[in-house]
Amino acid sequence: MAGERAVGLVRELRGATGGNLPPFRAEGLRQALEEMRALYERNQADVSEAKSGRTDLIFLIRFRHCCLLRNQRCILAYLYDRLLRIRALRWEYGSVLPNTIQFHMSAEEVEWFSRYKKSLATYMRSVGGEEGLDLTQDIKPPKSLYIEVRCLRDYGEFEIDDGTTVLLKKNSQHFLPRWKCEQLIRQGVLEHILL
Amino acid sequence: MFISDCRREFYDVIVSQRVLLLVASDVDALCACKILQALFQCDHVQYTLVPVSGWQELETAFLEHKDQFKYFVLINCGANVDLLEILQPEEDTFFFVCDSHRPINVVNVYNDTQVKLLVKQDDDLDVPTYDDIFRDEEDEEEDSENESDGLEPSEKRRRFEEDVIERTMKRRQRREWEARRREILFDYEQYEYHGTSSAMVMFDLAWIMSKDLNDMLWWAIVGLTDQWVQDKITQMKYVTDIGILQRHVSRHNHRNEDEENSLSIDCMRIAFEYDLRLALYQHWSLYESLCNTSYTSASLKLWSVQGQKRLQEFLADMGLPLRQVKQKFNSMDMSLKENLREMIEESANKFGMKDLRIQTFSIHFGFKNKFSASDIVYATVSLMENIEKEGPETTNFIKALDSLSRGNLDKLHQGLDLAKKQLRAIQQTVASCICTNLVISQGPFLYCSLMEGTPDVKLFSKPVSLCLLSKYLLKSFVCSTKNKRCKLLPLVMAAPMDVERGTVIMVGIPPETESSDKKNFFGRAFEKAADSTNSRTLHNHFDMSIIELKTEDRSKFLDALISLLS
Repeated sequence: MAGERAVGLVRELRGATGGNLPPFRAEGLRQALEEMRALYERNQADVSEAKSGRTDLIFLIRFRHCCLLRNQRCILAYLYDRLLRIRALRWEYGSVLPNTIQFHMSAEEVEWFSRYKKSLATYMRSVGGEEGLDLTQDIKPPKSLYIEVRCLRDYGEFEIDDGTTVLLKKNSQHFLPRWKCEQLIRQGVLEHILL
Repeated sequence: MFISDCRREFYDVIVSQRVLLLVASDVDALCACKILQALFQCDHVQYTLVPVSGWQELETAFLEHKDQFKYFVLINCGANVDLLEILQPEEDTFFFVCDSHRPINVVNVYNDTQVKLLVKQDDDLDVPTYDDIFRDEEDEEEDSENESDGLEPSEKRRRFEEDVIERTMKRRQRREWEARRREILFDYEQYEYHGTSSAMVMFDLAWIMSKDLNDMLWWAIVGLTDQWVQDKITQMKYVTDIGILQRHVSRHNHRNEDEENSLSIDCMRIAFEYDLRLALYQHWSLYESLCNTSYTSASLKLWSVQGQKRLQEFLADMGLPLRQVKQKFNSMDMSLKENLREMIEESANKFGMKDLRIQTFSIHFGFKNKFSASDIVYATVSLMENIEKEGPETTNFIKALDSLSRGNLDKLHQGLDLAKKQLRAIQQTVASCICTNLVISQGPFLYCSLMEGTPDVKLFSKPVSLCLLSKYLLKSFVCSTKNKRCKLLPLVMAAPMDVERGTVIMVGIPPETESSDKKNFFGRAFEKAADSTNSRTLHNHFDMSIIELKTEDRSKFLDALISLLS
């Protein structure tokens, strides 16, 4: 049925909750576009007939046109939502994405991501004086410089600013500078202990 | 080396360093750790906390972290063995040891550079003097070097004879000295016991620095109560320490006494109380609590039919309707609850339970949160030795640690439920051991072994639970036996630990007498018995009187133990 495929793409994206990025459906997208082309061609053919006097075809043409618009909307929504998710990933994981996520992106998306990265970096350099300002830090206003964290899985050695290393082992607890932990917390290696 | 000024020699040293905290798994250690963590948070001391449950874990944790840290704080572990020998640290590594285990190893005491002991000085430690146990080796060597040539032969010979005499004298002196040293060390190390709770030592530190909070005080109280619940300290020591803490409690909680100076109901308040010695009764029913508290169940002999009758009589004497007694304590009639304590005490006196009232503390916050210190101890212990979920033991440690903060009420309630299960299991096991005469007199000590397949046997493969069980069992046994000699004997208890590896866990506890000084000689005895029979034992626990043993070696180990002690 017309419109099924494009809606399927949106539905899949909606099913992946929590900002997860599902694999890019190149094949699904291609099929949806194919369907649009077919609709368009049949409309073209019918329009020329309608011009020659068959007014009963006009309703059919209108219906097909609605389908076309709907498919277009679905596909745009799919692509746009994925871009939003990819943008959020930049804030979550930093400038280098884990391989598993990169694998889920299309070539164009990778390209867009690197451009977004660049413009964000340029902006961050331009604000906050000489060294720039890392906007991805302290997304929530911090209450203290150091926080208590607990390690949720074996991570290995982790170097902090002053050159010392900490061994992050499951169930060990640490009191560390907040700005170093924030990313590991977002990645689920550490857990912030709130009392 | 003992630290005399905790603040200058300990805290000011580590405040600018990165510190590794190694914490043993007992409630007192957890409380001490909580207090220290709170202090570290105030001063932004970067630390890493690693739970350790035995010597092996302590060693691995040290090896893993020795490159990253120079300062190690050991809580409730490490004082009773030669730390430098087992860990082999670099010269620039420092250990601060806050441990309630006694006796403290003499090498730790007299090491001036690397091992610093945070121990309350007024505990009677009776450490042997330095000269009695250490002797500088150099004075032995010097005489061999001052051989002087160029003297007359006769002179030389006389010299030589003098030398020989001198040397033999020295050698004899040395032998005597060594014998004396062995004797002194034996006397010193023979008995194992516990000193002031680590949580109290840490609270003292906080207090000296004027950084003590009501929360810290509560943890200190829980630490002390843990020692009392586990029967680690004498009644005298408990009462003395309670007195010390009570002064702090009244200093911190004087507000709210009059109308003008009131606090919000949500603020935490600690109150000193003469409370009933019934386990968890405020979160249970009075009936269950009476049945599952070791003191009441042993005094009433609840494992027998007569005992059950006596319990009914006891309840009738108090005039409490059974329906009220068996429902949740919280929902009991207010009119009954009002002077419940007096009623129970009065009747308890008639039934020979004179010590049903104890001095303790309780904590209130909000409208419905009221906990007694022993409630928290029971809950934390059972969280720490929870056997329901398989996984690394450190997960239990973390849970227990969390349950101590007021923000984690759900964990605490979970702990209370587990504690009820644990107490019930202990009580049932005690009853079945006594009814089936599993406690056997071996001559110098009583012996009881739990079979594989007994209900709840898995619970007792954990050290603290097994110790609690043994203490309850001994108490009940002393009440039930008519043999006067048996009443004065200590108890050795064994339970299967790991069926696949074929090991049992064995504990020895001191005799249960009124004047007991809670000193335990089984640590050394186990060691000797294992040495003399080549039994495959593992002294992994920080308490020397808890060992792991191969099941096949059990009988020869016991034989050696009997001949050693008789």
